[in-house]
Amino acid sequence: QLDHGCALHTAARGCLSSVSPQDVPAEKPRAVFHTNESDPAKHTEHHEGRLYDIPLEEVKAVFPHGLPYRFQQQIQTFNEARVMVRKPALELLAYLKGSNFAHPAVRYVIYGERGTGKTMTLCHVVHYCSRQGWLVLHIPDAHLWVKNCKELLQSSYNKDRLDQPLQASVWLKNFKTSNERFLREIKTQKKYTWGKREATEEGRPLGEVVEQGLARVRSASDAVGVVLREIKQQSPRGSFRLLVAVDGVNALWGRTTLRKEDKSPVSPEELTLVHNLQKMVKNDWSGGAIVTTLSQTGSLFKPSSAYTPQELLGKEGFDALDPFIPIPVSNYSPREFESCYGYYLERRWLQHEKAHTEDGKAELQFLSGSNPRQLDRLAGPL
Amino acid sequence: MAAPSAAGLGRRLRAWLPRIMPVRWSRYDPSYLEPEVNKEFYQKPLEKLTEEEREQMELKAVQPIKAAPPTLSSSVFSDPMISKFTNMMMKSGNKILARSLMSQTLEAIKRKQLEKYHKAPENEKETIECNPYVIFHQALKNCQPIIGISNITKGGKTYQVPVPLTDNRKRFLAMKWLITECRENKHRRTMMPEKLSQELLLAFNNEGPVIKKKHILHKMAEANRAYAHFRWW
Repeated sequence: QLDHGCALHTAARGCLSSVSPQDVPAEKPRAVFHTNESDPAKHTEHHEGRLYDIPLEEVKAVFPHGLPYRFQQQIQTFNEARVMVRKPALELLAYLKGSNFAHPAVRYVIYGERGTGKTMTLCHVVHYCSRQGWLVLHIPDAHLWVKNCKELLQSSYNKDRLDQPLQASVWLKNFKTSNERFLREIKTQKKYTWGKREATEEGRPLGEVVEQGLARVRSASDAVGVVLREIKQQSPRGSFRLLVAVDGVNALWGRTTLRKEDKSPVSPEELTLVHNLQKMVKNDWSGGAIVTTLSQTGSLFKPSSAYTPQELLGKEGFDALDPFIPIPVSNYSPREFESCYGYYLERRWLQHEKAHTEDGKAELQFLSGSNPRQLDRLAGPL
Repeated sequence: MAAPSAAGLGRRLRAWLPRIMPVRWSRYDPSYLEPEVNKEFYQKPLEKLTEEEREQMELKAVQPIKAAPPTLSSSVFSDPMISKFTNMMMKSGNKILARSLMSQTLEAIKRKQLEKYHKAPENEKETIECNPYVIFHQALKNCQPIIGISNITKGGKTYQVPVPLTDNRKRFLAMKWLITECRENKHRRTMMPEKLSQELLLAFNNEGPVIKKKHILHKMAEANRAYAHFRWW
């Protein structure tokens, strides 16, 4: 049986316990839109609209990849990572807490218009799951696997498929950082031959497969496939819980912009990484959950006004994902807007004199339409 | 209404009518009034207005109004200097690109200053200026030359004569120097917001190549003091 306790560094935990009692007496006016509750498991409707803090060591351990670029810049400028607790995330966490892990994995699709906070909801859920000690399989953006690939190799395992060594090795490196503990504990169940002289025996820890993929970049995509297969087979046994978190799942079905050497277009099933991920997202395994996000921003050949699952996934994707729970994410409610505005004022992000006035606030609300991304973009130069 | 002034016999006989969609033109009829964008003006209650303002309001109800130019904004965040600078950065009318570069520059300045602010010890925190608008205006003021040089030809020879500059000319020279410095003397692959934010921060602290250029101009003017009497205006 694997250890279900909190997987994160004792250093991070020590930092948390020292921060929380000091915060409360020192900064009274902070209490309105901040919350000291750093554990997503304890977030309830009471915390809705408030921002909670993730310690920086945890951010580096849990999110080596996956946070949006502008949020990473914000972490660097403000020296802290504050995420807003919102209704869609609370809903998802409630479902996860109450789900029966003996049944097949439930699929959740987070959808919404551009810039409403789908990726941040996914990151909130990933943080909760890593706090609870789950094995988190986080693919930061599936669109990166179907476009702009400089090197496409023919796969040695299956002649029809194409390998992507660079993308696979980058993902393996980040996966290693976030899930060290599990890589030592999960053992392979079959012998895998990587070439004439290299092979991984049965019963070796999965970390060796990842090392093999990182060392021999040519076989990195196959290493990813092996890792996914092993995890999927061993998850129903119940020794660990698995979370498959995919951002931009609509990239897995549809078209790619890649071409083979004879200039014929490549369809997503012909890529090893995408093929293995499609198998992962099917609900024929139990002992975990699959949380995905739709994304129009990086998508290929889809109009910019499309945001519903039907439009973005297409017929093929919708049929593949079919019994799923849709979770809509919308713009900020007035309370959430107040909270975000107050946070920017408190961190001295809104420097313009007029931004502190009621007129400035009304103008920001009107111009951004309470859309989180637009508010962030507008507040940048101000 | 202006008298019909078109060429061609047939057209002269038709009465002049204004077009359906008014376009802002330098040849507006003198009866057209300027648009008023200031929100406070409309929020004043009627009793507080003076006689002339009441007359103006009545006139506005009857006379036609010119179309507002696209740069005129009722936003509380609009700043005429920033608009001028954006226009000078614009190439081939691509105002969208120029404006986004300007907002990225202001954001870059703010980020750099905020990082410095958070790392500084308590007693130095007040000295660090984080407001990008204050930095921009101060940097421009620091770059403005006090006296300029003009070429005057007398007796076949051209002399560099020191000459006073108007406010507009000073502002224009400061902005022009900043933009040319960023465009020409930097590495090809650096982005404009990055270059500009660096130059503005240096100018704010009275350092950097643009301030140096201003000092060189001042020195040239001082050196050519003898020819100052060549100026006749």
